[in-house]
Amino acid sequence: MPNLKALFTFRSQHRSGAEWLVSMVSGIGFLLLWQLIAQFEVLPPQFLPSPWSVLTALYTMLRDNSFLTDIAISVGRVWAAFLLSVIVAVPLGVWMSTYRGVAAATEPIIDFIRYLPVPALVPLLIIWLGVGEISKIAVLWMGTFFQLVLMVADDAKRVPKEYVEIGLTLGAKPFEIVRDIIFHSMLPNLVDNLRITLGWCWTYLIIAEIVASNSGIGYFIWSMRRFVKTPEVMAGIFTVGLIGLATDQLFRLAHRGYFRYLR
Amino acid sequence: MSTPNFLVFDRVTKTFRAQGKRVTHIIDEVSLAIAEGEFVVFLGPSGCGKTTLMRMCGGLEHPTTGQIRLGGEVVKKPDRRKGMVFQSYSSFPWLTVFENVLFGMRYRRDLSAAAKRKRARFYLDLVDLTEFSQFYINRISGGMRQRVALARTLAADPDVLLMDEPFGALDAQTRDFLQMQLLNICRMEQKTVIFVTHDVEEAVFLGDRIVIFSARPAQILETIQVGHYLPEIRTPQTKETQAFFKLRNHVLDVVRTQAQNALVAAQAQR
Repeated sequence: MPNLKALFTFRSQHRSGAEWLVSMVSGIGFLLLWQLIAQFEVLPPQFLPSPWSVLTALYTMLRDNSFLTDIAISVGRVWAAFLLSVIVAVPLGVWMSTYRGVAAATEPIIDFIRYLPVPALVPLLIIWLGVGEISKIAVLWMGTFFQLVLMVADDAKRVPKEYVEIGLTLGAKPFEIVRDIIFHSMLPNLVDNLRITLGWCWTYLIIAEIVASNSGIGYFIWSMRRFVKTPEVMAGIFTVGLIGLATDQLFRLAHRGYFRYLR
Repeated sequence: MSTPNFLVFDRVTKTFRAQGKRVTHIIDEVSLAIAEGEFVVFLGPSGCGKTTLMRMCGGLEHPTTGQIRLGGEVVKKPDRRKGMVFQSYSSFPWLTVFENVLFGMRYRRDLSAAAKRKRARFYLDLVDLTEFSQFYINRISGGMRQRVALARTLAADPDVLLMDEPFGALDAQTRDFLQMQLLNICRMEQKTVIFVTHDVEEAVFLGDRIVIFSARPAQILETIQVGHYLPEIRTPQTKETQAFFKLRNHVLDVVRTQAQNALVAAQAQR
């Protein structure tokens, strides 16, 4: 018997056992409300299509090779940019955290660029790199790298001083301390930050694909808009959300599996 | 005790310059000679600089003036000869108990992998953790974690064992048990030890010699050869003897008088 009182107690310490039920009901309720609004045409259908028509649109789209190609292209861009960010940000971030000189030299520049709104950089990147793949990946890279490198530096700085000193008193050289101690100690936090960064990649991807592209999910959404095919637009957005959710869960699963020692 | 001047503090001074021009004296001309195999306790109030002194011995900090010599060589930087056991974060959570002990020999090139494993098993057994060897650190108690750190440090085979309030965060029973275990191990291993604590009873029970420090700047107030009062081999019963009480009360007296003087001096300055 689920404890219903726990659901409505301020900061309750007890699990009710009915949380999943509440989540289900609210989710279904939301869909139902949406369906009702659409059904009675409170809003015109090209404004708010019913959830059912969105789902049908999604189904037809997924059976169409061109949309699957769009998905593959988008996923490819996201991962290419993400990996490029990681490959540069992780070593640089750790380096910044271990030598004050490196931090002093790089931090002001990174901090400045970090605050530049990425969409504002798109025109510049197109002038520099054209409208090909490189400029799209550059947009995502600009949007994630400068954030990630500072998060990595923070993670590395938070490694307890004692761990480093244990290494020193066991005769480890600086690179051995980074490889054998700092990296392992910061890894759980790093994976969390990578997960967040990957999410940002998707945000910037859609911007890049809407502004200058003739392929990818963002392009698809944008072109459907031109024909006011609202169900397809919503299904496109939905797809991005689903991919995001799936990757996020994979990251969480990997985190839980690999970092068993934290529990 | 073979070499009487195995570890020498030679007029060691430490000052910190805070942001402004104010210079804080942490340690004021401390000189001390420690023999090989001796168990020396640094006793003093919190923040008096005894930990800094020990860290300088490990090469993790540097004296402003004076020097520290280990086996005749001036201590300049940390290495495997100076083993450390910290109060917290003393072992790595991403490694198992066994891997933590093995890590103590990771940078030794004089041992084969098989020899390292054998040695790790030996020291795990010495601290009674064999049956927990596959556990991760988060799964074992605070007392066990300190034993892991001790085994790891011993496995590295340092010339001197530096312990910074290693039992400070443990409950009384665990602490009692670990004190006894530490004494037994140190006798077996013939290690030179510096043990930092602010616990008078712990100091009297463990030390071959107690060095009592004043409040900041740390100066040596008194050095006590515990062996003159207590049997060399301590047992749990030692803590119930008259001699133990007498010595403990004497040390407490010294510590209290010092604390009072420091307070008066601080008020006079104001």
